[in-house]
Amino acid sequence: MNTQRAPSSEFRLLATPLVIFLLVFLGFPAIVNLIYSISDVSFETLRRPKITGLSNFVAVWNDSAFWQATWFSLRFGALTALLECGLGLILAIFLSPLIEKRSWLMAILMLPLMVAPALVGLMYRLVLHEFAGPVPYYLWAWFGASLSFLGPTSAFWTLIVVETLQWTPFALLLFYMAYRAIPTEVVEASAMDGARRWSLLWYIELPLMAPTIAVALLIRFIDGFRVFDNVYVLTGSGPGGSTASLSIYIYEAFFKQGAIGKAVAASVILFVVSFAVLYGLNVIASRRKGVLK
Amino acid sequence: MTLTTIRKGGLLAVAIASLLASPAFAKVTVLGWPGGPEETALRAATDVYNAKPDVAENDKVELLFFNRDGFWDKLQADLAAGSKAFDVNLLATYSIGRYAPFMEPVELSGEAVSVYGDAVLKTMQYEGKQFGVPTDLSLHFMYYRKDLIDALMKDDAAKAKYAEISQKHLGKKLEPKSPDEWNWDDYAATALYFTQAVNPDSPTRYGTVLQLKNLLFNMMVFQSLPRAYGGNWMDDAGKITVNSEAYRKGLETYKLLYDAGATPRDSLSYEFAEANAAYASGQVAAMMQWNAAASDLTSKEKSPTVAEVTDTVAPPAGPEGRFTHIHGLGFGLNKNAENKAGAQAFIKWLSSKEAALTYARHNGAPALTPDVVAEVAKERPDLVKLGEFASKYGYVMNGGTSAKALTVYELQAKEFTGYWSGQQSIDDALANTEKGMAELLK
Repeated sequence: MNTQRAPSSEFRLLATPLVIFLLVFLGFPAIVNLIYSISDVSFETLRRPKITGLSNFVAVWNDSAFWQATWFSLRFGALTALLECGLGLILAIFLSPLIEKRSWLMAILMLPLMVAPALVGLMYRLVLHEFAGPVPYYLWAWFGASLSFLGPTSAFWTLIVVETLQWTPFALLLFYMAYRAIPTEVVEASAMDGARRWSLLWYIELPLMAPTIAVALLIRFIDGFRVFDNVYVLTGSGPGGSTASLSIYIYEAFFKQGAIGKAVAASVILFVVSFAVLYGLNVIASRRKGVLK
Repeated sequence: MTLTTIRKGGLLAVAIASLLASPAFAKVTVLGWPGGPEETALRAATDVYNAKPDVAENDKVELLFFNRDGFWDKLQADLAAGSKAFDVNLLATYSIGRYAPFMEPVELSGEAVSVYGDAVLKTMQYEGKQFGVPTDLSLHFMYYRKDLIDALMKDDAAKAKYAEISQKHLGKKLEPKSPDEWNWDDYAATALYFTQAVNPDSPTRYGTVLQLKNLLFNMMVFQSLPRAYGGNWMDDAGKITVNSEAYRKGLETYKLLYDAGATPRDSLSYEFAEANAAYASGQVAAMMQWNAAASDLTSKEKSPTVAEVTDTVAPPAGPEGRFTHIHGLGFGLNKNAENKAGAQAFIKWLSSKEAALTYARHNGAPALTPDVVAEVAKERPDLVKLGEFASKYGYVMNGGTSAKALTVYELQAKEFTGYWSGQQSIDDALANTEKGMAELLK
């Protein structure tokens, strides 16, 4: 097929709306953010920030709450990503024959995804309440005692379970699609060569699903790392800030403390680190691609 | 698509947009506190105002509400952006300093002092200027189970057990007293006595329920305890005084009750609603709670287990007296209001006796002087107590209306809950709070 390159003037004209859109909706806020991050700024001085250098970055760097929130987000993101993808993978493989025959099952399994995360937080606040919730009620009725689901030692794990229950169906959906896309000829050929079920899974199916697994892990880690809604509704930032994620830290610094410069500086640090990590992963992936070629 | 169709569609879009944007065309637009008794009361008062023959068509009031969640943050952003969407906006004692730069002082009616009294009017003042009319007052009651306390007072064996428990946990032998005579040690001893983890024969699972979530409003409930021991945020010279024996006593009392199991283990995630649910279950003997909970906890329909056996008194006393935190919700004037004269006229009327009585008769919670509250005492007996407690025991901490007051509460919530949950020592919690407050209130 012959392709013709558009003249450069026409190309520029066609690209102009997109460039304007990016400049207005991404470029402008990014520049304002950079200015605020090096300024002494409050709600009263939003239009006339006073440049103060890197003091906001120093304040964030020296703030133990920032590191506590970073550690929480890293742990939360990593653990929920692993659990959701692990469970999603197991469910996708084991439920695949069933879903294939009864496709409405998939619709039911996807239901948790339809609920807003803030609503999930509210729901569990009620479900786990010692005097109003069904779970503690039956624990008291059957065992004469109940776990302290949102106490200082268990709140983190309760949040992990709540997040995992809501988002495992997302991983299940991705893995089911990837599993169904494995060419049947390959599976049949392996079976004819004598591969048992476990070998088939380990040496054929999982390697073919690996790109999907990597993408799912990345998406779920990013989602878990930036968690806000359900954690904020369920435990707030927790006693002593123990369940404050980075998003909650930034929100509280901005709105609750009115420390706009500090909040924006924290978000800039977060952006730079995230960009570096993603760039690094991209470089590694490109090198692997090169090696495979 | 023909040109006519496009034109018709455009006209329809303009008509829908006009309908949706109707509040923007209001004569005087008032941004209220949505979804509770405050909204009901404001609607009733507004109807009375709009029906007045001397209120010009251009000065009629229309109401605007948005969600309670994040209300103050959204209001902050709107005011800072110079919003003209409302002429009059909601205001709270603890946020006056934060919003004052975007508002204007107001003039109240000549009746305001006789209707509300000076102490209540002060909850809407900042740097000596009146920034709002105080329509609703919030303070704390101690809710308690009178059936349980009466039974305890009549039983000699129970009294002996009570003395034994107080000796063991508080280091002094105490006798049960009537709740209106309690000091904070009596409260702690009673809470321990009615806790099954401490006293297996207790009829309730917990003696009290503390609101320990890392949340600024919970610090308002807590601080009446240190205040009764002389605690304050800062002295008259502006020196931060939070690292004191008074705050130490308050923090340690809460910690003692939490560690002894006198309050649910999940209390560290409890706020208003959770504490109410715990008390209404009948498994709690006494608690400090906002006056706003009174109607629910004494309603047979809403709290059938405890409604008929619940009574309220002011929070317990300390060596310096008996105190309850007070703060007001009210209405002030947006600096960017488009109809300032109309807005000012509505605010002036809102501070009159007629408006206050209308507001009180429709579920509002204004703190009225004894003469005025007498006129609605039959319909609203709870307002009698509200006015009495506010004038006798009400206080605002030094710095409690400053621009950073909310941030101070946030700081205290983080540090104090860190201590109660065992993440840091009391020395660190107090030192961090003092350091942070010195920075915020300098």
